[in-house]
Amino acid sequence: MMKVVHYINQFFGQIGGEEKADITPQLHEGVVGPGMALKNAFKGEADIVATIICGDSYFAEHQEEATKTILDMIKKYNPDVFVAGPAFNAGRYGTACGAVCKAVKEALNIPVVTGMYIENPGVDLYKKDAYIVLTKNSAVGMREAVPKMAKLALKLAKGEPMGSPQEEGYIPRGIRKNYIADERGSKRAVDMLVKKVNGEKFETEFEMPSFDRVAPNPPVKDITKAKIALVTSGGIVPKGNPDRIESSSASKFGKYDIDGVYDLTEATYETAHGGYDPTYANADADRVLPVDVLRDLEKEGKIGSLHRYYYATVGNGTAVASAKKFGAAIAKELIADGVDAVILTST
Amino acid sequence: MDLEIQQRVKDIAEKFGPENVVVILGGSEAESAGLSAETVTAGDPTFAGPLAGVALGLRVYHVVEDEVKNEFDPAVYDEQCGMMEMVLDVDAIKSEVGNIRKQYTKFND
Repeated sequence: MMKVVHYINQFFGQIGGEEKADITPQLHEGVVGPGMALKNAFKGEADIVATIICGDSYFAEHQEEATKTILDMIKKYNPDVFVAGPAFNAGRYGTACGAVCKAVKEALNIPVVTGMYIENPGVDLYKKDAYIVLTKNSAVGMREAVPKMAKLALKLAKGEPMGSPQEEGYIPRGIRKNYIADERGSKRAVDMLVKKVNGEKFETEFEMPSFDRVAPNPPVKDITKAKIALVTSGGIVPKGNPDRIESSSASKFGKYDIDGVYDLTEATYETAHGGYDPTYANADADRVLPVDVLRDLEKEGKIGSLHRYYYATVGNGTAVASAKKFGAAIAKELIADGVDAVILTST
Repeated sequence: MDLEIQQRVKDIAEKFGPENVVVILGGSEAESAGLSAETVTAGDPTFAGPLAGVALGLRVYHVVEDEVKNEFDPAVYDEQCGMMEMVLDVDAIKSEVGNIRKQYTKFND
């Protein structure tokens, strides 16, 4: 019989709610909580040999340590597949499920399945790393989610070929597979267009990501007195990239002191961005982060002052959820520092 | 059904014996009433609480169901439940809770 290790949080582990969210990873032989439903859904083809329970806050605050402990716990069981959650719309739980799945896949090369509601922040962060079954937004969806997760888990454990996200019920992972369609592209496109014009339902072959809209702030009252900060997703960092910001899918942003810096030169600054030809940015980083021009405007009295620090990250392939998190953190510091306006530059 | 109430139902069923317990629900929506009914019969469908995997099979009714309603003094019922009965989707609640009861209760009277 195939072996499964299951990961759940303190709530589903029946240890407690928010007041127990700081518990360290615990190992239980056999099933706990939703594992009962999962085990039934395996119909004797697989068994849950162990359940790992970890507090959501503990995981969020000690991700590295918790991941290491959890990997060590999983290792000795050598499972055929690893299942986490489902987490529904619980943000920290979803993020933990995704992070553990990613680590298990990468470190132990064991297939992984989890389940989340489409708006769970864990989806954007980990949909490329794990099969995430689409669930309802609360535990009411347990009954629907479990059989889908079980089916996917068995398939992965057996090494059977995986169908498309629509067929299997998981969230698209951004993987494209070639196939021979019955009809040529032009015909399919025109058919789609006709349906669209007639207001009928049609299925796109290339889903575009949906972005939210940000309402603009009121204009700056007096720019000649305003303290202006520079923030970029174009990856401009001091030479050598001291914070090791990733060239794609950035996991962090950097804060850099430009007190007394009047010009970014080839010797002092460069870009960490991996999504565009860096030649011109490396030759003169002011092209992406216009410190030189702002210093001129500062001298001419056209702006109040340039903020002492600039912030930089890499926008290349970075998850929207990460970008939101960086944006909120940067904005908080800028407000605390009395910055009046920000110039955002990309690549 | 929240975890504390699940524990209380479980304790009461243990103390008095499941055959001696009737659960009366007052939830205002068919779906949530159905989930509560399922929790005390087939077990917690969310698998989060003490009744996860515990099929007590208790008798369970919503207060608007005729089996329960007919046991009341009509004046008391009208005073306590009359108002809510007018605004709730009584038919949906009856059908949801009734279906769960038919499927999962162990005590068919």
